[in-house]
Amino acid sequence: MAAQPTARRSITPSAAAWIQGAFLVVIALISLVPLLAIFVGTFQDGNEVIRRGMTFDVDLGTLSLDNYVLLFTDSGPYFRWFANTLLLTIAQVAGTLLVSSFVAYGFAMYEFRTKTLWFIMVLLVMTVPFEMLMLPLYVQVNDMGLADTYAVIVLPFLAAAVTIFFFRQYFLGIPKEIIEAGRVDGVSEFGIFFRLVLPITKPAMAAMAILNGMLCWNNFLWPLLVLRSPEKFTLPIGLNTLLTPYGNNYELLIIGAFFSLIPVLILFLAFQRFFIEGITAGAVKG
Amino acid sequence: MTRLRTTVSALVAAVAVTVLTACGGGQPEAPVKNADGSTTLNMWTFADVHAAYYEEMAERWNEANPDNEIQLEVTVYPYDDMHNKLQLAVNSGEGLPDVVDIEVNKFANFVKGENPPLVDLTEAAAPYKDDVVQARLDLYSKDGKIYGFPTHVGAFTTFYNTEALEGAGIDYTTIKTWDDFKEAGTKYNKETGKAFGVASTSVMFLEPLIAAQLGGEFFDADGNVQVNSPEVAETLSMVQDMQDAGAVSTIPGGSPDSEEAFGAINDGDYAAIVYPAWYTSRFVDYMPDLAGKVAIAPAPVTDDAVVQTIGGGGTGAAVPAVSPNKDLAAEWLAFAKLSPEANVAVWEVLGFDPVNMAVWEDEDVTKNPDNKFNKYFQTNLFDVLNEVKGGIGHFESFSDPNWPTVDDTFRTVTLNEIYENGTPAQEALDQAQADLQNQLGQ
Amino acid sequence: MKQLLYSKRLAPYLFILPFLVTLAVFWVVPLGRSFVMSTQEVLYGQATFIGLANYERLWGDRIFWQALFNSLRYMVLTLVLLIPIPLALAALVNSNIGSARIKGLFKASMFIPALTSVVVAGIVFRLMFAESDSAMMNQVMEFFGFGPVRWLRDDLTGLVALLAIALWRWTGVNMMYFLAGMQAIPTEYYEAASIDGANKFRQFIHITIPNIKPTIVYVVTISVYGGLSMFLESFMLYAGNNSPNNQGLTVVGYLYRKGIEENDLGFASAVGVVLLVVVMTLNIGYLAASGTFKKEAA
Repeated sequence: MAAQPTARRSITPSAAAWIQGAFLVVIALISLVPLLAIFVGTFQDGNEVIRRGMTFDVDLGTLSLDNYVLLFTDSGPYFRWFANTLLLTIAQVAGTLLVSSFVAYGFAMYEFRTKTLWFIMVLLVMTVPFEMLMLPLYVQVNDMGLADTYAVIVLPFLAAAVTIFFFRQYFLGIPKEIIEAGRVDGVSEFGIFFRLVLPITKPAMAAMAILNGMLCWNNFLWPLLVLRSPEKFTLPIGLNTLLTPYGNNYELLIIGAFFSLIPVLILFLAFQRFFIEGITAGAVKG
Repeated sequence: MTRLRTTVSALVAAVAVTVLTACGGGQPEAPVKNADGSTTLNMWTFADVHAAYYEEMAERWNEANPDNEIQLEVTVYPYDDMHNKLQLAVNSGEGLPDVVDIEVNKFANFVKGENPPLVDLTEAAAPYKDDVVQARLDLYSKDGKIYGFPTHVGAFTTFYNTEALEGAGIDYTTIKTWDDFKEAGTKYNKETGKAFGVASTSVMFLEPLIAAQLGGEFFDADGNVQVNSPEVAETLSMVQDMQDAGAVSTIPGGSPDSEEAFGAINDGDYAAIVYPAWYTSRFVDYMPDLAGKVAIAPAPVTDDAVVQTIGGGGTGAAVPAVSPNKDLAAEWLAFAKLSPEANVAVWEVLGFDPVNMAVWEDEDVTKNPDNKFNKYFQTNLFDVLNEVKGGIGHFESFSDPNWPTVDDTFRTVTLNEIYENGTPAQEALDQAQADLQNQLGQ
Repeated sequence: MKQLLYSKRLAPYLFILPFLVTLAVFWVVPLGRSFVMSTQEVLYGQATFIGLANYERLWGDRIFWQALFNSLRYMVLTLVLLIPIPLALAALVNSNIGSARIKGLFKASMFIPALTSVVVAGIVFRLMFAESDSAMMNQVMEFFGFGPVRWLRDDLTGLVALLAIALWRWTGVNMMYFLAGMQAIPTEYYEAASIDGANKFRQFIHITIPNIKPTIVYVVTISVYGGLSMFLESFMLYAGNNSPNNQGLTVVGYLYRKGIEENDLGFASAVGVVLLVVVMTLNIGYLAASGTFKKEAA
């Protein structure tokens, strides 16, 4: 009996590592099943998939490249949605990064009397569900004549609370000496921000670009409300329009959904670290 | 800093004032003509097939009216999306099309109050009115004014899978009443173990039909909701009894008009579909395996039925009141939906039962052996329609301003309670009545 | 101008000005409008003041309470699932045994679902949880010896599908949060504990959990927010806002139904106001209790 603990100590680590590895692999595989399912779905007849659901029991003989042919030859507005979403995402990410970091700098680097009040406002805005404001805001943008414009999708989120919060944390870690040195050299307050501070925030920028880019690429409800013209539709809205009994577009729905994932997946594989930092931003340092 | 704070408050105040005082409700402007003398009409619809049909009708209009041509720009939105956008646009009075397809269960949302945001189309309908099924015009009318033009009658018919029935020794031509239907269904279910008819949970068609045959309504004479009235309760109990006996069953997808159901029906899992006549197009488009195996017959009736059938489903095409081109839009729309030539196209292109009854008599059209619908079905749809012609009633509840809410409640809650959870009909209806009274503030 | 650019006193206000404008135009004004509209009946853009009638209707509205119950239930269950499971996985990945390569691949594959939009996730899960015998989840049931389930037709099984989407999309993200928190804990703490004879589990309870408390607070906060404002998952899963017996209806879904689908903007605004009060109370109460405000504002 006395020997047993020693034996356990010598065998267990490798066995435990093996069990742990196998367990992680199984969980990872389960987690990839839905993506695999939709990938297989791109080779199946769309109507059949809607009728019977996605299945493990795929009849290999029925798989074909028809949907790919359809996507690249006769997919109607699909690539227009793609281009719209890309454009909108780039514009929104650029705008949000610039404006939010600008605001965050004010909160991080200065002392002023109402700072606490306004910063609590930032925190509060983070907890107000946007869905609640959606209806009055919609009525409001209609009155302002801004309905059906991309501007109205972007504007409310330029000074984004979460992004401000993240940048503020980052700026707090920047040595104040840089700023003082800038002042001594006669650089204006804004010059200090644009010329001295922004260039050294690249990692934070990358993380926030990813976070905002993903939110924007997948944004659905607000654009659905404000956009009227089909030529302005984005990918999520466009995909949703295919899910209608009056359209007969199920082939395009499945392959279109799959293709909408590809840019994000490629970016993720290339910049994995920034993705994880971007999405998990705020939690650790908070 | 005080100065700054003042500036900020002033800015906030200015924004607030602009926002709060600006209001919608644009006035109609003068008609707008293009350089070539034609007029552009924007149209919204929710069905791809409708768009193709309207484009065809625009071309025919231009052939007949070279001095008053239109350029039709049709936009197809998904069903929910289009109606939601239309509501939001009606609220602000901006961004509305010149012509719009409104589904019948949503129509009442747009004719509420004293001053509906749609054009009175009564005058435009005048040239065709006598040939058109009155019940279908009533559907889109309020206070004697017509606000929408129908696309089809949607008379209820039964689609029998005769191959399946023969296997069980059932002759569908002997089914006349709901009792017959129940008996045949029960027998079929016992012999084959398969489902006969359908109890839909996500679409409410069967219930208005039977309630109308029983002489009932979902509202009382003053327009108060009355969904637990004796006739409605009898209707739901009747269907529930049929379900208990095995004559009707629920269907994947919740109604015969869904992709999952097309699969099941095509596989022969359901043998008798009581549905509006426009369901012909679903068979032809989505159930190729049943070609040549389906017969169309009139829908069953109750004993002493008040009306033989009613129209189910539909789309009311309307003209928003703020359209600068509303007169031309109304005139074209009447041509596109009520004229005999349009109604021939409704049948030939869409496979719907046309509202202009002059077409029903035209055997060159109705009996055309090359027609894909005539080829698909064993019996001729127009024989069935002419059989029920005198008995097509208007179900008042369909045009009640609160019908959309009632329909919604039934499709999400009540029909599920009864057909899926087995709640006794009366109990589920009392619950619906209480919910609706609260929701409608009655 | 020059004075403006160099003024240390004015600069902070100019820096935060975009936020102040956003706050005013896109938050405070609509918020005020929402309160105003909740006391009105709005028809085709014409508003009539009706006092608290919308709130009275709301109080007596069975469907509203059902929606609120659904939202709260979903929130609580996502908390129950999406805190412990990711925490356990993070601890597993953070342990000093096992291959780093497998862990790297594991992290990546857990994270990928977070990249899929709810629209796409909803479409895929709808098709995996289809009624037919041959649909994926029914094949899984069959494998374990159960008959086919009509997933999206029943309340509880529909809830399972909704939770499956949440679990699929968020397990990886939450795990990353916790992992980052764990990696920031100095290893000396554990070494000291091992010397004192504490086993792995006791170390986890007494060292790991207290040290990642800020992370847990953050994850709980966003989960409460996310759970209560959930809408799109249900909207996509049920291919619309009308689920059988309203089993998938949430507060935001009800707001959408009333405001957008039924055009009852006044009533919908009342729903929004109630939602706001619920979320703010929960979150502010929680953040205050956990001391977050004091720390951030300091």
